[in-house]
Amino acid sequence: MWTRQPLLDNGTMVRRVHRLVKRANLAGWLFVVLLSAVLEAVVRLFELQDSLPPPSATLHALADGMVSGTLPGELVTTLESYAVGLALAIVGGVVLGVAIGSSRTLLDASFVVIEFLRPIPAVALIPLAILFFGVGVPMRRLLIAYGALWPILINTLYGVRGTDQVLHDVAATSGVTRVGRLVRVTLPAALPSIATGIRVSASLALLVGVTAEFVIGTEGIGSYMQRQQLAYQLPELYAAIVLVGLLGYVINVGLRVTEQRVVFWVGEKRMTGR
Amino acid sequence: MIAALLNRVVPRLLGVLVFAAALGIWEVWARSEESFLVPPMSAVAERAWQVWPTADFLMPVAASLKRLAAGFAIGAGIGVVVGLMMGSSRRTRRTLEPLMEFSRAIPPVAIVPAAIVVLGLGDAMRIAVIAFAVCFPVLVNTIEGVRVVSPEARDTASILHVGSMGRTFRIYLPAALPSIVAGLRIAVSIGLLMVVISEFLGEGDGLGRYILFHQSQFNMPEMYGGILFLGLLGYVLNSLFLFAEHRVLTWHYGAAGVQAP
Repeated sequence: MWTRQPLLDNGTMVRRVHRLVKRANLAGWLFVVLLSAVLEAVVRLFELQDSLPPPSATLHALADGMVSGTLPGELVTTLESYAVGLALAIVGGVVLGVAIGSSRTLLDASFVVIEFLRPIPAVALIPLAILFFGVGVPMRRLLIAYGALWPILINTLYGVRGTDQVLHDVAATSGVTRVGRLVRVTLPAALPSIATGIRVSASLALLVGVTAEFVIGTEGIGSYMQRQQLAYQLPELYAAIVLVGLLGYVINVGLRVTEQRVVFWVGEKRMTGR
Repeated sequence: MIAALLNRVVPRLLGVLVFAAALGIWEVWARSEESFLVPPMSAVAERAWQVWPTADFLMPVAASLKRLAAGFAIGAGIGVVVGLMMGSSRRTRRTLEPLMEFSRAIPPVAIVPAAIVVLGLGDAMRIAVIAFAVCFPVLVNTIEGVRVVSPEARDTASILHVGSMGRTFRIYLPAALPSIVAGLRIAVSIGLLMVVISEFLGEGDGLGRYILFHQSQFNMPEMYGGILFLGLLGYVLNSLFLFAEHRVLTWHYGAAGVQAP
């Protein structure tokens, strides 16, 4: 004979609700709403609509754009190049980083070239990339990949170099093969560092992608913004800005949550510190 | 002794050698291809040697640096001040956090069209977007830096009735300094990125414009030279801040009576 246990006892329940409320940060979101209200009033009172749309108009334009499918369409175009470019950078950065990081000779041989290429801002390559690859999707993908490569490469490299040598030796004496050591020792040890690199690259890639679209102006959310600015459609322009901000926010949070799940062993300190 | 010296020099030499080999391959390949898009390395170097010391090149560089300095000063100033406020008061931090998290998720280029509408196509717009981009890394790092101040230091200060101004300048700011300088280093490369982006648009001068102009004129050596100079500039600025970071860290650990790890 057994009695059904409630899934959560009362105390846990209360604590959970409490934590949810705390995490929701009411004060912070109230502040955002309040700021928008003040902005709305100021814009309407002083008739600043020529330089700043009232937040309500922006929201309206955002809703319209979402419903009509214009904004999602542009966003998908942007995201396509973004995803492919970032994926290329992750694969390239991790492979190169592991290779260079695990060999002293390779590191010595490549560091001058890396130090030479790394500081060149990816956006400065836009004029060159146009000449090479035209103004289409391949150019944007490669530019994004190039810009996003460096943080991942460097972080992977440091992560691999920071691997505890004792772990390697233990694995080697236990008869783990080279490939096995790579997969079971080096990669897990470098994973937190790789994750950091990917997080940095993810925002950088978005910046590079939107910039390329904005400067060249053929398609994507960046070129949509440029067109709205030229047409002086301020609510539509601000709607696109808010949307890109939301996209960046979702990417940030998504990566942070994934990072905490995947590299869960890095511990509390790193998880709370951001 | 000689062996030790060799051990230190040979790896460095290998890196330089590989770099030289890469330049050599570029040279040979460009010469044999006679590609219009890729001038031989020697042509780029030669043109750089001729053009870089002249006003034609130094004026745009000076203009870009001026914009970077102005935007950086404003952005970093705002970042440090707001960061100190948010770092030292939990309530302020909680209130401003959603706004900050959202604003810093916006790729800085996205506010360029909005800045153009308000400020036009001139330098005010450029400085504003540079400041916007610079602000967030500094802000985030300042908050982090202040938050690591030990509760003991906070409590001691409040027992001794150190005012909030005194606390800010004598405890929080010095404690956060290493983190702030690290933030400044990240910010300066983002600032350089924004200098180039903002100069792609509108009229005026600057390195970004210089690169775009020579691209439109198909002056390949000049364009490559401009891009390489930007890389060089980024490298020098980064090294300067790394040096500052190191100095601040040494001083920081020295003041705390601990050896730097």
